[in-house]
Amino acid sequence: MRHITTTSARTKAAFVAVAAIGALTLAACSDSGSSDTSESASGEAEMSEEPTEDTMAMEMTAITVGVIPIVDVAPIYIGVSEGYFEEEGLDVTLELAQGGAAIVPGVVSGQFQFGFSNTTSLILGVSNDLGIEAVASGVAATDSLDADFAGVMVQADSGIESPKDLEGKSIGVNTLNNINTSTINQMVRDDGGDPSTITYVELAYPDIVPAVVSGDIDAGQTVEPFTTVALGQDLVNLGSNFVATSPGLMVAEYFTGTDYAAENPDIVAAFEAAITKSLDYANSNPDAVRAALLDYTSMDEATTQAVTLPAWPAEIDGDTVDLLAELAVTDGFLTEVPDLSALK
Amino acid sequence: MSSASATLESPATSGPKPRTRSRRPRRSRGVWLGIVGVLIVLVGAETLSRTGIVNPDFLPPVTEMYATLFQMLGEGWFWESLWLTLRGWAVGLGAAMVLGVLAGFVIGSIPFLRAFTNSTIEFLRPIPSVALIPLVVLLWGTQPQSAFVLVVYAAFWQVLVQVLYGVADVDPVARDTARSYQFGPLRIARSVIYPTALPYIMTAFRLAAAVALILEITAELVIGVPGLGREIGIAQSSAAVPETYALVIVVGLIGVAVNLMARFAEKKMLWWHPSMRSEHS
Repeated sequence: MRHITTTSARTKAAFVAVAAIGALTLAACSDSGSSDTSESASGEAEMSEEPTEDTMAMEMTAITVGVIPIVDVAPIYIGVSEGYFEEEGLDVTLELAQGGAAIVPGVVSGQFQFGFSNTTSLILGVSNDLGIEAVASGVAATDSLDADFAGVMVQADSGIESPKDLEGKSIGVNTLNNINTSTINQMVRDDGGDPSTITYVELAYPDIVPAVVSGDIDAGQTVEPFTTVALGQDLVNLGSNFVATSPGLMVAEYFTGTDYAAENPDIVAAFEAAITKSLDYANSNPDAVRAALLDYTSMDEATTQAVTLPAWPAEIDGDTVDLLAELAVTDGFLTEVPDLSALK
Repeated sequence: MSSASATLESPATSGPKPRTRSRRPRRSRGVWLGIVGVLIVLVGAETLSRTGIVNPDFLPPVTEMYATLFQMLGEGWFWESLWLTLRGWAVGLGAAMVLGVLAGFVIGSIPFLRAFTNSTIEFLRPIPSVALIPLVVLLWGTQPQSAFVLVVYAAFWQVLVQVLYGVADVDPVARDTARSYQFGPLRIARSVIYPTALPYIMTAFRLAAAVALILEITAELVIGVPGLGREIGIAQSSAAVPETYALVIVVGLIGVAVNLMARFAEKKMLWWHPSMRSEHS
């Protein structure tokens, strides 16, 4: 233990430099002041909230909505910035949960009053008696197999030409036993194939395209912006697994807790009215959607222009809920179709 | 242990010589070696990407990463996120240090408690902090409290165990001497246990500082607690590859800064300790 030179004066010099930078940094950020924990995705994009004449008098209710930083939730961002929620007396805070895993528990535990989640996850939640119910449609597939926000991507020379060829192959999906595996299985079944031979590999969306390109997996399910990225890597799209299952499939819904809805019917009605308006607006104003993407995601201008937008019908599609529940039973990750009235 | 003690003077040259002799060239050589090492890595990564050995769409050239990084430095959200991450790290680390040192002193000083809690500590310590994610999400969602709990849980055990070793390392003769001089428990803690345990506490601080940063970023990335980690997640899901790497570089630099800071603190606090002193009596 006698002469151990742990740190020497050179580290000290380096440290002093770092400390100086750090001090400047802290000084710089203490100016920016607000450490509000829930702002728009990239901190910028402060939604202008100019209370109008008639909302001034109204009692505002603060609600928190759990969303994910993907294309699907553009309408609610637009609705907040357009003031649709304010008109209904709602002061909305959008919480960006990463990956959506936090959203259902967040709504169940009252962290969020409302949330956005894919339809199959909600069906699983209902079958587990989590006490959730749908408020409005969230996002839907388009009607076109080749022009949808989702796709199933393979290498051009893979020999996989149609969904049936996926038999015995490995496919990357972002979640096992969920909406993507259900719909891909159905896609293969409809094409005369046997989906039970497919090996699904769980990968995060950003990793799926690189894995297909490098040949680690034979195919991968993508959503925007990765559908565009995949086509840029010269991958071939077998078609949207959502559209193949049912054109216009309702992929996700906005939902709330059953108890919360029973105690606050007015707030739920107000949310429904505002989100319906937002969905309609987003559906007919793609440019507004692309502009909103610049605010709450990190997509660059080129990407926001290139992505294929989904559809945002305002009506909840009950047939989709039934279909996805049946597919979940067929795939065996649900034993029986539960009472789905809460999701319609 | 490194034997590159820069100040060892040959015994032949006796006499009062200025001690700074011959340190400067060595020091700068170390710095240069470090810089060269970093440059080789950067140039290597750049080459891999530019030549297409690795797909540049998934690993952009280093120059592009840094261009994006400098662009980010001009944007408010970046500083906001950096601040939130550093704040979460510092608060969690501070709480873990206070709790760990207090618990370590109390448990370590009382043999019965030490024996009583030993198995429990050994059971709880290996539980990865990330296993608590579902629990904290249920309790606090994406609020900073979620990250705080993960950071404290991970860092606390590091501190506690180090402090327990430190307290156990106290020379029993010194402690008995203090007792026979009628020192009270607080005074013994201050004048006997503390000096012995301090090097261990500083080691704990260094380890805990790194662990706390890792858990803070993880909580942001996985749960969506606001901070740099969440921005990495958003950049990833937006297919903004250069931005993702730029943010990762920032996190790496914070890690280096944290480590330097901890070592610096160690030097400052332990200037009197034999391991830190280069004079040899």
